[in-house]
Formats: sequence, C-alpha cells, structure tokens
Amino acid sequence: MSVLVVAEHLRGQIRDVTRELITAGREVGPVTVAVIGQDPGSLVDAVNIDGVTEIVTVTIGAGEFENDAYQAAVEALIADRKPRLTLLGFTVNSMGYGPAAAVKLGLGFASDVHGIALEGDAVIATRSFYGSKVSAELEFPGVNGVMLLLRPTVWSPAEGVGNSSVTALDVAAVPSRARHLELIEATAASDVDITQADFLLSIGRGIGDKENVEMFKELAEKMGATLSVSRPLVDAGWMPSSRQVGQSGKTVKPTVYLAFGISGAVQHLAGMKTSGTIIAVNTDPEAAIFNVAQYGAKADLFDVAEELEKLY
Amino acid sequence: MKTVVCIKQVLQLGDEVEFTADGLDVDPDYLDPALNEWDSFATEEALQLRERLGGEVVLVTCGSKQSEAALRRCLAMGADRAIRIEGVDRDPFSVARALADVVSAENSDLVLCGVQSSDAVQAATGTALAELLDLPRAAVITKLDYSGAGTAVVDRELEGGLIDRVEVDTPAVLTIQTGINQPRYANLRAIKQAEQVEIDVRSAAGGGTPAYRVRKMFVPDRGEGAEMLNGSPAEIAARIASIVKERLA
Amino acid sequence: MARDPKHDILFEPIKIGPKIMKNRFYQVPHCNGFGSEKPFSQAYFRALKAEGGFAGVSTEYCSISPESDDTHRMSARIWDDGDIKNLSLMCDMLHEHDALAACELWYGGPHAPNMESRCVARGPSQIPSDFEFLTYAIEADKDDIRHLQNLYVAAAKRARTAGFDIVYVYGSHSYLPQQFLTPYYNHRTDEYGGSFENRARFWRETIEMVKEAVGDDCAICVRMSTDMFMGEAGTQLKRDCLPFVELCDDLVDVWDINLSGIAEWGEDATPSRFYPQGRALPWQAAVKAISKKPVLGVGRWTNPDLMAEAINEGKLDIIATCRPSTSDPFLPKKIDEGRLDDIRECIGCNVCISRWEIGGPPLICTQNATAGEEYRRGWHPERFTKAKNADNDVLVVGAGPAGMDCAMILGKRGMRRVHLVEAQDDMGGTMRWIPQLPGLGEWARIVNYRKIQIDKLKNVEFIPNTKLSAKDVAEYGAEIVIVATGSYWSTDGLNGASHATIDGADASLAWQATPDQIMGEGKELAGDSVVVFDNDGYYTGVSMAEKLALEGKKVTLMTPLGTIGPYMHFTLEAPNQHRTLHRLGVEIVPYHLPSRVEEGVVVATHVYDEEGHEKSFAADGVVWVAQRRSNEALFRELKDSIGLEQLKAEGVDSLYRIGDCEAPRLTADAVFSGHRLAREIDSDDPSLPLPFKRERRMVDDASVASEKAEYAALYAGASLS
Repeated sequence: MSVLVVAEHLRGQIRDVTRELITAGREVGPVTVAVIGQDPGSLVDAVNIDGVTEIVTVTIGAGEFENDAYQAAVEALIADRKPRLTLLGFTVNSMGYGPAAAVKLGLGFASDVHGIALEGDAVIATRSFYGSKVSAELEFPGVNGVMLLLRPTVWSPAEGVGNSSVTALDVAAVPSRARHLELIEATAASDVDITQADFLLSIGRGIGDKENVEMFKELAEKMGATLSVSRPLVDAGWMPSSRQVGQSGKTVKPTVYLAFGISGAVQHLAGMKTSGTIIAVNTDPEAAIFNVAQYGAKADLFDVAEELEKLY
Repeated sequence: MKTVVCIKQVLQLGDEVEFTADGLDVDPDYLDPALNEWDSFATEEALQLRERLGGEVVLVTCGSKQSEAALRRCLAMGADRAIRIEGVDRDPFSVARALADVVSAENSDLVLCGVQSSDAVQAATGTALAELLDLPRAAVITKLDYSGAGTAVVDRELEGGLIDRVEVDTPAVLTIQTGINQPRYANLRAIKQAEQVEIDVRSAAGGGTPAYRVRKMFVPDRGEGAEMLNGSPAEIAARIASIVKERLA
Repeated sequence: MARDPKHDILFEPIKIGPKIMKNRFYQVPHCNGFGSEKPFSQAYFRALKAEGGFAGVSTEYCSISPESDDTHRMSARIWDDGDIKNLSLMCDMLHEHDALAACELWYGGPHAPNMESRCVARGPSQIPSDFEFLTYAIEADKDDIRHLQNLYVAAAKRARTAGFDIVYVYGSHSYLPQQFLTPYYNHRTDEYGGSFENRARFWRETIEMVKEAVGDDCAICVRMSTDMFMGEAGTQLKRDCLPFVELCDDLVDVWDINLSGIAEWGEDATPSRFYPQGRALPWQAAVKAISKKPVLGVGRWTNPDLMAEAINEGKLDIIATCRPSTSDPFLPKKIDEGRLDDIRECIGCNVCISRWEIGGPPLICTQNATAGEEYRRGWHPERFTKAKNADNDVLVVGAGPAGMDCAMILGKRGMRRVHLVEAQDDMGGTMRWIPQLPGLGEWARIVNYRKIQIDKLKNVEFIPNTKLSAKDVAEYGAEIVIVATGSYWSTDGLNGASHATIDGADASLAWQATPDQIMGEGKELAGDSVVVFDNDGYYTGVSMAEKLALEGKKVTLMTPLGTIGPYMHFTLEAPNQHRTLHRLGVEIVPYHLPSRVEEGVVVATHVYDEEGHEKSFAADGVVWVAQRRSNEALFRELKDSIGLEQLKAEGVDSLYRIGDCEAPRLTADAVFSGHRLAREIDSDDPSLPLPFKRERRMVDDASVASEKAEYAALYAGASLS
C-alpha cells in the first residue's frame, strides 16, 4: 500500500513527528515523503531515512506554514501520486489544513490516531474517545483513500540513512488567505500557574521526605519545568495547593508531564491524563500512573533524578 | 457584525463504562452531557466581539433535543439565538456538512468553533467547515484582533507555546483555543430566561461519506500506553531527556 | 466502584478471644461528651460508626466506681444497674450492625478530681496529679489494692450484663494500672513497687481476676501506653512494656497499644501540626513482634494503603481509629466500595478533643458537622432528604468552608440549582492560606473534600473570579440567597482585651500587617524584628510567630493573656508548640497590651500594672492578630440598602448569612453554621436553628410525688435541732 507522509518543519528544521510518521508509514508500505516549503531542498537530507522510497519537494512562497499553500500542495500530491494512505502529524499545523483537504477530496479521515492496521486493502485506525477512557477501531468504507493524523510520541522516530530518490512537483501557487506574520516566543510560564505551564515536573508521595522537595525543585529549574505536586504533598504542607494537580487541585494539560513518585490515584489522573506526553518514574511497577503514561520507568527516583540533573 | 458560533454538547464518561448492545458506542446511561469546554471560550469571544462591534451572536449545534441544554447554556451567557440541526452523524465531516448548509445561509462575518471537542478530540470540524464554506481559516487561536472588516490578526498557539501570528482575510472560520478569554458565568436569571428561548430546529439534508465508521469500541488494556524505559538510571535519564527535548521542540 | 484488591486484607475477619471481629476496623475508646448520662446520644453516635462498617466500637473511658469521677470532664460510668441499662442501648445498637461492643474500664487514681462524687481516689503513692490541680490519692494499702481489684471485677460483670463483647483493663494515659507499672507514679517499697515484677503485679493480678470473672464471655483487652517520653521515670517500652506483654500475653485477648501519659497525651492523640498518620507504629510493631495475640493501635489512619501496609508488614492486626472515625464514620464502607475520594479525612486539628478537655460540651468536628448531632438533631452524615422547597434556586456568595459545606449539603438535598459564587479564583476562602501556616498542611482536606463533592453534584455550580455587588445578587435570579463572605483580621488593633483600637495601629502601613495580608496577599514586612500581637488565643498568633521566626526574623509574641495560644492547651498542641517557639528563640511576652505603636517600637503596659508603666519593645514590624470582624458589607447592603421588600420584588424570597459573616468563630462552627442552614433550609424559619433534643430527666406528677415522699421519709419524726 502506497503511503504519503507530509513532513512538518519549523524554522528550517524538520520536526521529530515527521520521523515518527515515517516509522508508521514504512510498516504499511513504500513511503513517499513530501517536503513543502520555500526551500524544500535544504530539508531533504533530514527525511532521507531508511524505508523512504521517494522524496517529493513542493516549493511554495511562504517561509513558514500557511494552510492554503499546504492544502493546495497536498491535494496536488494526492492527485498525482494517489496514495492509499496519507499521514500527517496530529499537530496544530495539520489541524489547519488536513481535514479541509480530506473533506474536499472525499478521503476517509481520523485524527489523534494511535494505531494503524491493514486488513487486506482496508486501513483500520485505532484512536481514543471519551477522555481516552475507551478506544475504537475505525474503518473507512467507500472512500478513495484515507488521511490519518497520528498522535505524536506513539511511534518511535525512524532511524537509518535511506537511499531515496528526490523529485520536485510543481504546484500552481494559490492566494494565501491566512498569511504568516511572525513567530513569537512564548512568555516564560508563570511560576505558580501550573495550568499554563508547557512542561510540568510533578512529584508525589514517593519522594519520601520534605527535604527532597528542594532537590526536585532544582531539577525542575534546570530542566526548564514548572514544579507541580500530587495531593499528599499539599496535605503534608510541603507545597502550596496552587501547585496541586488533580481533581481537588488543578487540571493541567502540559506538552510534557514528567512524574516522579506519583502512584496515580484516580483523583490525580483526572487532573493530568490529557497531558501531551506523560512520563512516569516510580518504584512500584503496579502504579496506576503507568496506565496513562506513554513512557514509564520502574526505577529509583533519586538515581534517575540525579542522572537527569547531570544532563542539564 | 454577525458571528456564528458552532458548539457541541459533549458526552463525558465517568469511572465506569458499559457498551451498547452492538458494541459500537458507550451505553448512554454512562455518559453525562455537558457543553464542550472549548465552545464556551468560542462563545465568550463572540460575545466580546458583539460588545465591541455590535451585532449578533448566533449559535448552531448538531444533536438531539437533549443537546439543547448546551445551546441554552450559551444563550444564558448572552448569545442572541440558537439553531439545532437534527439527524446528523457524529463524525466531523457529517457534522461539518450539516453545519455548512445552515452557517452559509447566515452570511456572518466570522464563524467560531472550539478547537476540538473533549469527547472525540478530532480537531477537524472547524477546518472541514471552512473548506465546505470556501472560507479562509486559522486553527488553534489564542488571540483575536478584529475591527469588524477586512483582515483579522490572530495568534495560533503552536506546540511548545510558540506563537504563530497570522493575518486572515474575513469572513473566516477560526477555531478557538481554551484560555483565549475568561468565559463569563451565567446567573440564575439568565439561565431561567434561556430556558424560555425558542430554538430553531432544522433537519440535516444528509448525504456525503462520513469521515469514518466505528466498527468496535472497547476498553484499552491496562497499561496499554506506557512503554517501559529500561536500563541503568543514567540510561533512563538519557531517554527521558531526549523525549522531553523532542516534545518541547 | 469495587474495592481495590490491595485493601482486601482490611476486610478479613479476626478472632479476639471468644469473639470474632468481622473486619480490621475498630473504633478505640474516645470521649464524645455523652457518657452514660446521655444514653441515646451515646448509642446513636457509636452505632453510626458500626453502620459505616466499623467491626468493633468502644465506649470512652468508663468509670468503674464513684471513686473515679472525672467531673467536670465527661466519662461513661458503669457504677450501677442504671448505667447498665443506659449503656446496653449502645450495645444493642452496635449488635444490630454485627459490630462488637467494647467497654473501657477506667480508674483514674490521683487524676480523678471527684468533684461530683466527693469520694477520694486510691493510688500507688501519695503524689498529687500532674494533670489536675489539688487532687491527691490515698496511698493504697493491701486492703485498698484488693478493694480496687474487686471494683474492676464487679464493673466487668456489669459490662458483660450490659452486653459488651470486649472488656478493657485500661492502663494507659497514666491511669491506675500504668501508675503501678511506672516509677514516676509508683514510689512503693512493698511487693507492688520497685522491681518490674512488683510494679507489674497489680495489673497482672487485676487482669487475671477480670479474666476469671468474664473471660469466657468477653474478650479481654489491655490498653497500654508504651512510652511517656520522660526518660527513666516514665513508662518505657523495653524496660516495662515488652516484659509486661510477655508476662500477660496468655491472659490478654487483644493488645491496644498507644503512647504517652495524661499530662502530654497529645503524644498519643497527635495533632497533624506535629505528627503524620501512623506515628505510634514502631511501638505497636514492637509489641506485635513478641505477642501471639492480635495487636490494635491508633494512628489517625485515613489512608487505606498505609493501613494495609501496616497489616501486611506484620506491624498491626487491627486498624484502630478515634478521630478519623468521627470525621468519617463511613471510612470502612467507603474503602470497601472503592470510594476513596468520598472519604472525609480527619485533619488532626483536635477540636474534637478540645471539648473534652474544656469539660462538659459534646464533641464537635471540623470536617464532619454531623458529629455529635446524630441523635439530638437526627443528622446522618451520608443520608439526605429532599428539601421540601427543592424547586428553589440558591445563590451562595463566598466559597469558604461555611459556604462550601452549605452549597454541598443543599446540593445533596436536591435543590434545583445551587450557584456557589466566589470572588477568588478557587474555593477555600481563608482556608486556602491557613494550611500554608507551619504544620497545618492537612487542614487543606477541609477544602479538598468539599471541592470533590461539589464537583460531583450536578445541581451545584461553582463560579470563580466573580465578585458580586448587592445589585448583582438581587438580580441574580435566586429565590434563596445565602451570604458567606467570611471575616477579616482587624487592621486597627481593635481587640477583645481593651475593646478599643490601638494608637498608631494601621495595617495599611508598610511596616504593619494582618495575617490576611501576609498569608493571603503575600505582604512582606521589612526588617529583622517583628512583634506579633495576639489576642485571639488560638493558632493564628503562634503560627504567625513561628512562620516569621522560620523566615529568620527575631520575633516577639505579645499577648494580654496569661499564656500564648491558650486554646491550644485544649487541642493538645500547646506543649510541642511551646517547644517549637522556644527552639526558634521567639520571645514570649504575656500579660502585655500595646498602648501605642510607632515605626520601630511597640509601647506596651502590663495588664495588671495599676500605674500603667510603659515598656518599649523595639521592632521593625508589627503583626496584628487582634480580633476578627465579619465581612458583612454585602449582607448589610442587601438587607438595609436594598431591603427585603425590594429583594422580594426581584424574586429573592429569603436572605440568610452563615459562618464568619455572622460572627467569626472556629472553622468547625463556621462549617456547622453552613451545614445547619442547609439541613434546615425547608423549616418554617431557617434563620433560626430548630430545637435539638435534650437528654434530661423530665419532671412529672408521679416523680414529684415519689421524690417528695422519699425525702419526707428520711426525716420522719426528726425535729429541727
């Protein structure tokens, strides 16, 4: 089955999700990677990865992402290469044009997909519903092709240098109705508003003593994370309740939630399980937090924390 | 200035779950309806535009009679009128097609949608709707500057908090991110008054292929999600550092 | 929800002597202010815990004789047939829930003031009590010892008759058997004093006699304090207690192991300010390691994981609770049903205990407003009736503890819509910052519990960040409006000692502050030294002093009272709080009231100095913990400026206020106030509490006639001398 992967890039760098899409795609069939941009040639090397059979470049006017140009390019690519499956990252950029192209071309469509299977010629996608409490298998009857937006971090980034051909596809320029003006760095997350933080380092009862809070505070600072806590630490008076994640605290959705020594009481999970990527370190392999985490480590918290500190 | 806000009554699942007999969805007895969180921000943004520029805020939703509770919630916040479209499948393309017929007839200056719904998280309806209406659009908006004509300047919130400032021609469809404003509360009097408002009920024209069909719904295996990182503390730390770096990039 | 399998161990039955306890949850003896004089209040209070899943429930300390009368403090008594009858009600009601009933036989020795009975107690040595002024005991000779042991036996038999399943020979908290065992109390040189064998003799003999008398029918429980924390003189684990366990293990069916003597029994009933849950576990485990019998022990247990761990690690057999069982009588049932987020966890504030220490009043609970109200007001903590006026919408203004509890109970009573509106961005009111005071973290449970419950109630909506004006309230659209806007600390030095403001006091100045400003608004005082003026008398003044001292300031804690934080004596927090402040170098200035303040100096006089000599205390800053005032502006405006008539025209039928907005008070009482209004929101006049049932003897014609006849017979034929 032919697969089209649309590379995503920002400020002249291929984003990691692209390599994940390649991993997912090459499990299904030969992968064509589309690089769309002002100077796509400069990005070709970064996607010339084992399993990629063809790289197609599309040159557009805009330096950064613009949804009309991307949509036109992807529509042209699909018309030209007729992939059975088109893969995009489930990212803010894809949200701006993916569903538009799919509804226009009559493709099957699903986003935030975390599993792909083939049954003969049919694509079966798995994704979650209802606050990730249930999963569903989706099928796409009566369509010409399928576009899936894949959840980041599920597939590991593809490795290995490829031997791909590079071709250019000319796509007529379309007027851009939503024009990129500038990129603005996020203002530093406020120290106490954990709901606004992009990266939370969260600690729980497993850290043992009050004295250890300081160590994780320092680690958070070094890693550029905001420190949050589970309820027992607030109950113990070690941290103010403004830092508390959970049903009786704050509901948070950071891009990364790194948990040390949090077992994952339901009330805690309720406050953080929709975080982008959850990484949990706990000494108890049965800890419930592993059920919602994408990455888990059964290890001594302090050893891992010490090693992490060395890396920053 | 007329703004159409497309809203959804989402269904929230509690701690326990049972499926319908055909296994294709959760038994409704286990689902609690609520206004989609994103849509209260979209409604607030529309109300603020009306306060600044005058005009009208029109709500549209797809759903059964039960979903009128979500419309009334937004009416209580101050929206002017509400339209409910019956007989629509729940997939984003079916919803977008049904909305397109109604929204197009409204000839509004802006169409606001929530970025996504909390029960499905497709983040697709607004963008698909824009395509069907052939309107400019921008997704995941955390700031909107609009004077009522010409172009709007919006901030899109990218991964990692980076802001992409974009100029959009109008009329346009914008999908609104939480946190763009602070949605107002509705007092009890407004809630009571909203209960009396007559809702314009339409039927969907139908047609078009749905985005997907659910063939099976199930509770994921315990621990399905976590990939366990093995090795020495140093190796684990290195993996964590690289994952963090990737995600925040 | 189902029970978590890792908690299964907590629900395994266990044999104690001739009885089987159906699970591992047990309510150890603790006072409630009802004794045997208020039998219905007593029985309903205890039975509720059995209904909530406790497999064994005890009386409080139960006096075995008028020689052991703790008046003014309220104990149970099992002196005669009347007491048997009254206590049998409790036993019957416990048995209806398949729970075992326990009776803690108590003899106080020199600690019993006998103010009602006017008897004289007997004890091992004639040394006055270290707990109670002016009480001495008779130094018991051998006949007295026999007499004492017979009192235990007779009382044990009466307990059996009343229906008790477990009988205690209670020897902790410095009561009689512990006095014999401990050199601090026992200075004897006969065979009941001196060596371990001699000091243990009284207790062992007494246990033997009680076992002989009732041991076939009742389990024999021994409650023993295993450390008094006073060195050689006090009871010691290794020297006294472990040998005693070995000596008596064959006689005892279950050991109830705790800590402390009576003078500092806060080492047993530990305030959360100083100790986490499970504090006594090492001592309990030491007994468990050498005993063949089940060991039970308190530890302010609220966390089922820690409970299961204590049993799985072989440190305890039975989870004993007093305060957590009052805070949530349904603790076992909620664990059984996997409803952990519904547990109303004890915060360890010891306000319950303060009522016993004060002497007389029934216990109250900060977390559970229904504690003590089971019979007299008929309040059940887990059952609610639909309000008769449930078709009304309610606006509660202010989401502090009172407003939260009120909104929660109104929600549970099925009011159509309840809006809880708060000016700040989250619930809690002052209870958002109080848990940030040193050691008070667990007090956050007051807010956490209610927040989770409110979140679950579909008819209750929380609206943050919204400060309502009187006009907003009037036009809100609620038929019932409840104002719960709390209170603030006076900023001008107004206080309950002088009933006047203090010259120069003005917390709007940079060098002066109130607790609200420091904790709620983050105000910081410049400089190295500070005077904390405290005329509140509870935790706020001492906590501010402790916090500022921890931050490195030189702190002077000044109060017109004779001691700092006197109410903390009743909550058992005082001894360790004194130690803490002493360790931090806080200078305590009692009996002093500032007459004026100016930048850099507090000028004060001794309250008993008739000539008013002034003394200056140099200080860079001043913190006023003088008194609180209700935040009643909104209420007054609604009632006085808009007026009830105009409110009616807007559709507001009723206007109430609750909590500190009425009058500042203990958090427990503020919560009670909100709870009470919600419970009685459909009464004829909810602004006034419904009368509660009072257990008292009622006079009727027959009793008048018989009492008069009995009295007349006393003096038949005796003329005035």
